[in-house]
Amino acid sequence: MRALKILTAAVCILVCQMISTDAKAWWMWSPGDTVDNSTQSMIGTGYHPEQPIDFPHNIHAGKLKMDCQYCHSAARRSQSAGVPPLNTCMGCHKIVATDKDTIKYITEKYRRNEPVEWTKVHDLPDFVRFSHKPHVLAGFTCQECHGPMQENVTAAQHAPLQMGWCIGCHKDNLDKGAKISCNTCHY
Amino acid sequence: MERLEFDELDKLSEQKEVFAPDAAFEAPVKNIGKGHLFMAVEEVMPEIGATDLEVRGEIAESKGKGYPIARRDVMRLFSASAILGATACVKRPAEKIVPYVNQPVDFVPGNPVYYATTCNECPAACGVVVKTREGRPTKLEGGPEHPVSQGALCAIGQASIQGLYHPERHKSPLIQTNGLTKEFSWEAAFDRIGAIVKGTKKVGIITKGSTGSQRKFYAEFLTKIGSKSENVFTWDANGLYSSISEAHRLAFGVEGLPRLELARASTIVGIGSDILDVGTSVVYHSKGLSQALSIKGIEKGELVQFEAVMSLTGGRADKRHVIPVGSELATTLLLVRSLHEQSTAKGSKGAKAVIASVLDANKAALDQAYDVVGVKKEVFEALARKMLEKPSVLVAGGTASFDENATSLQVAGIFANILLGAYGSILNFDKGWSASPVKAGDMKRFMEASADLDVVFVIGTDPSFTLPASYGFSEALTKVKTVVSIQNFPAEVDRLAEFILPADHYLETWGDEEPVSGFLSIRQPAVRTTVNSRQPEEMLMWIAASAGSPMGYADYRTYLSAQWKSYYEMAGAKVDYETFVKAVLRRGFIGKLDTRTVGDLKDVKISLALPESGLKLVSPFDHRLRDGSFAHIPILQEVGDGMTTIAWDSWVAINPNTCRKLGLKRNDVIRVEGPGGFFEGAIFPLPGLHPDAIVAPRGNGHTDKRSTISNGVGFNPLAAFAKAEDKVTGQPVTSGQTVKVSLVGKTYRLAAMQKHHDIGNRSDIVRTTSLAALAKESGDKDLDTVPDLYPDVLHRGDYRWGMSVDLSKCTGCGACMTACSLENNVAQIGREQILMGREMHWIRLDRYFNGEVDSPGVTFQPMMCQQCNHAPCEAVCPVLATTHDDEGINAMTYNRCVGTRYCGNACPYKVRRFNWWTYKWNTMGEKERDRNIRALNPDVTVRTRGVMEKCNFCVGRLRDAKLSAKERSKEFGREFRVQDSDVKTACQQTCPSDAITFGDLKNPGSGISKLRRDPRAYLVLGGFPEEKEYGLKTLPNVSYLMKVGADHESVAGSEGTHAPEHG
Repeated sequence: MRALKILTAAVCILVCQMISTDAKAWWMWSPGDTVDNSTQSMIGTGYHPEQPIDFPHNIHAGKLKMDCQYCHSAARRSQSAGVPPLNTCMGCHKIVATDKDTIKYITEKYRRNEPVEWTKVHDLPDFVRFSHKPHVLAGFTCQECHGPMQENVTAAQHAPLQMGWCIGCHKDNLDKGAKISCNTCHY
Repeated sequence: MERLEFDELDKLSEQKEVFAPDAAFEAPVKNIGKGHLFMAVEEVMPEIGATDLEVRGEIAESKGKGYPIARRDVMRLFSASAILGATACVKRPAEKIVPYVNQPVDFVPGNPVYYATTCNECPAACGVVVKTREGRPTKLEGGPEHPVSQGALCAIGQASIQGLYHPERHKSPLIQTNGLTKEFSWEAAFDRIGAIVKGTKKVGIITKGSTGSQRKFYAEFLTKIGSKSENVFTWDANGLYSSISEAHRLAFGVEGLPRLELARASTIVGIGSDILDVGTSVVYHSKGLSQALSIKGIEKGELVQFEAVMSLTGGRADKRHVIPVGSELATTLLLVRSLHEQSTAKGSKGAKAVIASVLDANKAALDQAYDVVGVKKEVFEALARKMLEKPSVLVAGGTASFDENATSLQVAGIFANILLGAYGSILNFDKGWSASPVKAGDMKRFMEASADLDVVFVIGTDPSFTLPASYGFSEALTKVKTVVSIQNFPAEVDRLAEFILPADHYLETWGDEEPVSGFLSIRQPAVRTTVNSRQPEEMLMWIAASAGSPMGYADYRTYLSAQWKSYYEMAGAKVDYETFVKAVLRRGFIGKLDTRTVGDLKDVKISLALPESGLKLVSPFDHRLRDGSFAHIPILQEVGDGMTTIAWDSWVAINPNTCRKLGLKRNDVIRVEGPGGFFEGAIFPLPGLHPDAIVAPRGNGHTDKRSTISNGVGFNPLAAFAKAEDKVTGQPVTSGQTVKVSLVGKTYRLAAMQKHHDIGNRSDIVRTTSLAALAKESGDKDLDTVPDLYPDVLHRGDYRWGMSVDLSKCTGCGACMTACSLENNVAQIGREQILMGREMHWIRLDRYFNGEVDSPGVTFQPMMCQQCNHAPCEAVCPVLATTHDDEGINAMTYNRCVGTRYCGNACPYKVRRFNWWTYKWNTMGEKERDRNIRALNPDVTVRTRGVMEKCNFCVGRLRDAKLSAKERSKEFGREFRVQDSDVKTACQQTCPSDAITFGDLKNPGSGISKLRRDPRAYLVLGGFPEEKEYGLKTLPNVSYLMKVGADHESVAGSEGTHAPEHG
């Protein structure tokens, strides 16, 4: 009997949780990794964590019109787009803008052989397998998912990154070879 | 009152969940007898099976430790976590991205990097390709170009990744004095050992067998510090290496192992042989045997096995004769006699004269031997005639026949092979021979020399455990003043050591092996040391330096580099040496085959003594754990023994008829008392054993608390053996000593997995045919056309994936289960959970017996998700967590699964696995075994509690292959499709017998399409389509190929006479 009581209590608490204001989705209590967007809006866009330095995407990609894949060169070759190693930065910044504080910071890091720890912005749950490669190969621009990075300083989450959003785009691009079977992303 | 209620509730739920695998799970089908299959011997001999009551008694005994958390605690935790959840927000931990400072050239984050290296788990030296992700090894595969492994790898090789990441490896050098263990720095340890070494010149090294530069290096170290270079003692518990090598020295005057080219043989006779279990090179011999026994037109090779135990090799045999324990030599000589009598016998006059003199000297014994062995003279004569007609070979000896005559048995085998003309064609001894990794008689030499030694280094081997206690090794080692144990994992010999130095795992070291003379297989590190360990050879360099006599090499790699110079000269490369070494490292091997001249057979003597009757103890290697060196690796414990399917235990296997005679039942604990001592273990009645054989495999029985995986699992049967040695090599005897058995009065439930996923006893599960019936077959089979009311199966995708499993080829070695578990992050759950039928293997091996209990036929059937096109599981899922994709795969979406387990109940093949716990972090059984997260495959989701999982055709690998095909299409502007060679599933890739084929069924030219049209193809539970009986009509994408008998007879349940029952 007591077991039943505890169970009922637990279920009640859980249900209360689900309908309370903080709770946005049922999977917050599902086992394994979950994405919590409770501090953000319902669909998770706009997540904008602080980074070790304010890397100005607007200068590199916007003003200087550098190709995104100059630094994120793994995007067309691998599942991960890759954050550039420090030696990519130092390729130019040994001589360019060396008087700036941020450049002094990375120069010091490079000298000490310490990597810069960036905070991940676009974080998918661990039960989703996403690969950049096929999307780049299919001719999608980075901006379609990541927004106008050439206008922003550091990255913020642009797309909701939820399943409906993925499937919506996949359905529109069936002719390009996009798949909508579950094991395209879940395995 | 309330408490009582709880207890009763507990009991009730436990009874529900625990189904007894050895209780009659369902009523046996009628007419079981000859020609029908049985999975467990209880089906034909219920009187020796465990009773329901005993099973329940055992559960009550283990109650409380069976579950990591008691049911009530789960409830409390559940509610507590809910309350916690209410007060605190569940926040995503912010993940960090840490890029390189200086990224290596050509490195792409997210893409694997592969390294070629050489396996070091046994002296066979298989080539391995290590897949690394971001610098850490995640999976091992056989090197596809490497001539020894030929792309395949055995279960032990696959599992070495768990050895690398094992959480219980030594973390720093230890010094033990007066029972106290202290951590020391490397420098302090070297200084202290160096000082001791400097003070004495009496230093010895005991090391594991190796064919590479290692032994030479150790000898050089000993000379350098002023000791004798012959103080290197090699030890391998597998006595085959030394007995074969020594027999060839006696017969031809040259040491070494002949290279066995089984693929060229037509008839292969094994006498006590275990080439598929342990042998000298499991992968190489499995590959060869698979080719020899495959069907070529209307012919196929034949394996005839004579043995007392039930080995995997015997299970694979087309004809198996059961002989008494210890009569291998007599059997071989009887065959030699029959061969010698044939006029077509080959061999020179001189050789024949030597053989004739040996036969004459033993004439009286041989005349009696027919009765002792229990095989008629006519059988030997017919076999001899058959063997002389076509290329044939005799393979003698195995780990089950290490008795006093082990070397004489090899000499007799040489006689037979000379008469068969096998040398030069099937047995390569003059060209491309293999050196023996172990020098015969080394351990005997050590026992004699030990009194003279002050310092002994024990490197990478554990003689304290792998030698019988009666051999006296530990006593001899205790007398040595300073023992330095250099191991990559805690070993029993550490107890006797003053210094314990953690060695690198082989995936972290430099090295080389020379499995065939002139052929160099290179070992290079695939990862930087993962714990505070060092390369053993470099430790010796440091010690030599502290002792004031430096060896003069910067590191071991420099030493090896100097050793490899001769290959550079031989290759005549037009590049500088460093470039050459880099090219060799990329490939992993280099070499040409040396040749040598071998003279005629020398005068050898064999004296035959026939074995007496009475119960005899045999302790062969467990094919997964070998001599016990791999007992600490969870996946190998969990895979289960092929023949008994027992996991996480040792057992005593006895012939069922002997059990009945002695009044023994399954799971009864017996005391086996031998001349050297006794041990206790539970009985497993195993068909096919000689009635007098008591078979207790080695491998378990470790009593080392530092290894929580192997500590306390099973028993060590070597305890019962009295000191006895092979007459020639001094290898300790582990077979054939007379024992007494008596009931202890306890029962112990063995975790045998055989009946856990019972799919019923229908005649359309394992189907067999004969060569004669196959010859009559014409035209292609169409397995996919089945009349039913379902809508047609539409495969709209670009591909339709299919798999075919050849029942004629599967040997039951378990490599596929290991590879699958490691590729797909399948959890190991431990004995207690397995007893509840919760094992997680995505691919399992069902073992079926047929025929007489005393000499059954054996069929192994790998069973994985059949990817049904009309899948019963898909129809019942209430949340659409399992769906069919357009390429024929039955997809499983873990995050959608709510754990109703309806699909598992609906599945007729019983291949769906439910996560009862989050095994990812959870305990396995009662012991805490944190899995090392680094050993997980980053490309496959780790499942959590409450989720159903199953085989998905390695869909991650498929995705990678499809992507690269797409990439190529884009690059070259025309369509590329995934071809057979582009993608392999983990099980198919590693199969040493090539039993599994996988590919695209939409491509009519692919290997899998051909095999699905093959006359032997059939669907499990798919009825008999040729008789318009279509079974369950689930239409799987996995098809099987019927098992074929060699002697133009069907193997089991002869086709055509079956009584199909459908339902």
